[in-house]
Amino acid sequence: MASVPSSSSSSPSQPKTRKKPGQNSSPAPPPQTKWRTGTQERLYSRRLVDALRATRDRTQVQESVGSRAVKQAADSALALTARGQSRWSRAILFGRNSCRRKLLVKAGGKIRRHRRKQHGVPPVAAEPGVLKEQKVKERLRKLGRLVPGCRKLPAATLLEEAADYVAALELQVRTMRALADALSAATVSAPEEEETAAVDPMAIAEQGS
Amino acid sequence: MSSRRSHSRHSSASRITEEEINELVSKLQMMLPDAPIRRNSRVSARKVLQETCSYIRSLHQEVDDLSEKLSELLASTDTDSAEAAILRSLLMQ
Repeated sequence: MASVPSSSSSSPSQPKTRKKPGQNSSPAPPPQTKWRTGTQERLYSRRLVDALRATRDRTQVQESVGSRAVKQAADSALALTARGQSRWSRAILFGRNSCRRKLLVKAGGKIRRHRRKQHGVPPVAAEPGVLKEQKVKERLRKLGRLVPGCRKLPAATLLEEAADYVAALELQVRTMRALADALSAATVSAPEEEETAAVDPMAIAEQGS
Repeated sequence: MSSRRSHSRHSSASRITEEEINELVSKLQMMLPDAPIRRNSRVSARKVLQETCSYIRSLHQEVDDLSEKLSELLASTDTDSAEAAILRSLLMQ
């Protein structure tokens, strides 16, 4: 009797606060273009910098920022830049904030047993022909393990998440590399001033003698 | 309406058509760094997935290396030059 809203099936994700008009006719821009815009780069680099600065301030007592902390900050910043529109980003953010371990331990026994039971049985019966091969399924499972939070997804969703994740990772690598280059340029230029101040009197002393 | 609901339930299973899967797979294939233009002929989904896995792994590795490098750099630079470098990198975008 009530009209069933079937809009959920038409488009999976509609960006609400996207200022750029979609270049294609599809509502959601493809991952390659979405993650390569200058806006995203600036957004992510700013977030990364903020996260790094916060991490650094927090670890002043320990005196050195661990590489794992940097990686976590970078991943969280990346997930934030995704605005929680993709599953992997939500998985990263929720993994950081709450103690996921407690939840897993509570329900983990049952779920794991259940999953192990279903291991031999294919989860979805009505999958297209390409995906019924055993090797394809293995690869899909591998992929699901690599992308955070995507272990139990159906194939199509997993592929979408993987594409988004790959593009986001590329952005992350680009930004971190640029930051590292800028920082290393700074470290090179700073001691140079000290060196020139030290070298000059030595040079003069040598010339004098 | 009930027939519509059952229809939607039925079609949701077949909604993930093979065509969509192939489209997603080819989209992934285009994102891989390995000369996507060359692959006009469709590569098997298995290969694309395998290369995607190894690509993601190598990206993870790069992120780890870069994080290590960044942590070393952050430890060695003092605040002022770090801030200057950060500002510089932001302005260059």
